[in-house]
Amino acid sequence: MIHRDSGKDYPAPVKLALRAGINYCQPQMVKMASSNKSMVRIFIPTISEGPASYNKLFALWHQVKGVGRRFLFDFSQCAFLAQNGVAFIGGLIRTIEQRGGEVALDWGTLRSEIKMNLAQNGFLSVFQGGMGPWEGNSIPYRQDSELNKDGLVEYLADRWLGRDWVHLSDGLRYALAARVCEIYVNAFEHSDSRVGVFSCGQHYPRLRMVRLTAVDFGVGIPCNVRGFARNQSIHASSAMKWAFQRGTTTRPGSSGGGVGLDLLKELVRLNGGALQVFSHEGYAVLLSQSERYEERNKNFEGTMVTISLRCDQKHYRLTSERDDKPLF
Amino acid sequence: MKLTIFDLIGPNCVTYTDGLKVYDLIHPELQRGRAVELDFTNVRVIVSLFLNAAIGRLMQDVPTGELNRLLTISNLPPGGFETLKRVIENSDDFYHHPQVREALDRILAEHAAEV
Repeated sequence: MIHRDSGKDYPAPVKLALRAGINYCQPQMVKMASSNKSMVRIFIPTISEGPASYNKLFALWHQVKGVGRRFLFDFSQCAFLAQNGVAFIGGLIRTIEQRGGEVALDWGTLRSEIKMNLAQNGFLSVFQGGMGPWEGNSIPYRQDSELNKDGLVEYLADRWLGRDWVHLSDGLRYALAARVCEIYVNAFEHSDSRVGVFSCGQHYPRLRMVRLTAVDFGVGIPCNVRGFARNQSIHASSAMKWAFQRGTTTRPGSSGGGVGLDLLKELVRLNGGALQVFSHEGYAVLLSQSERYEERNKNFEGTMVTISLRCDQKHYRLTSERDDKPLF
Repeated sequence: MKLTIFDLIGPNCVTYTDGLKVYDLIHPELQRGRAVELDFTNVRVIVSLFLNAAIGRLMQDVPTGELNRLLTISNLPPGGFETLKRVIENSDDFYHHPQVREALDRILAEHAAEV
């Protein structure tokens, strides 16, 4: 059980201004002077938090899926790139490469403030070389082609939860890292993502929020649940709902499962944060007062999880938990 | 038998495979009626997948009375006990109360039937 020590109440979070119905930029064929080969220019849009931005990311996925094998990513129309966009675009590049395609990044089209942020979170050093990451308001961009449990724990417990943006006791910090680790382990065990898992986080001081996004490009939760149930007619929303119940797992012969998210849900509720999961055409969102499971028209082949925590003044810790009752 | 988990697995007990390493060592001991202590000193992180494999599976064929009598678990990190309790509850349902799992599976069947 998580205990919240007394602290100031925090006003309702500021909503980012998002507009539905944005026209997605159409890809253009361009000829590269250096290589003399045609590439498809993909315009990276402005990406913040909220359904419209996720739709734009998934539209990107469809663009690179449908046309050609050589792409130039153009950032000239991108005024902001949140952590979800960074993780997703990193994964998208690796997905294209894994399929035998090529991606060039048109660094000259990056706005200086975005370039600085991409340097800070290490995205630039991965794809361009050079400096970064360094500590600031970023939680580093990370690519895991296979499960590196020690590196992952260090990333979650120190680089994300250990920055004191949310005041957690050491015990709770590692306990939460364990719960989020489970998301990664599930991605490696169940998603069949050929490129692994991509992560990035960001602290938003003005919003007083810290967000972490992890994305894989695998078969997704609905597909796994349908396969497990041997029933292809199950709605994505129903599959998502089932997967989020305690005690469910698609691992054959497993002695139960699905206990890992409880503590994370509890913190999200106490903290007034949010947990969002997009998986193919399924969507789940957990807020402080509600859980919703929906069908979505805009989708991509993979699973994307974003955890948002409010940076309040409260101190969260685990209450004493061991009792004298028999364990079994 | 006393097993120091840190020595066997390290500070981060994360994967099902790691859990099976522990299971493979302690399951024969418990089946022979020998006492086992799992000491988690210096372990920082325990994921439920690990505990499902290491301990949850024991409930398949070791009676709960025997587990209470023979198995001691000490020095769990913060949050570990809560995870362990939930793993044990789930395993109990899985092996001894199939109607719980059937109820969950009915959610899927009902929604599929609506299509």
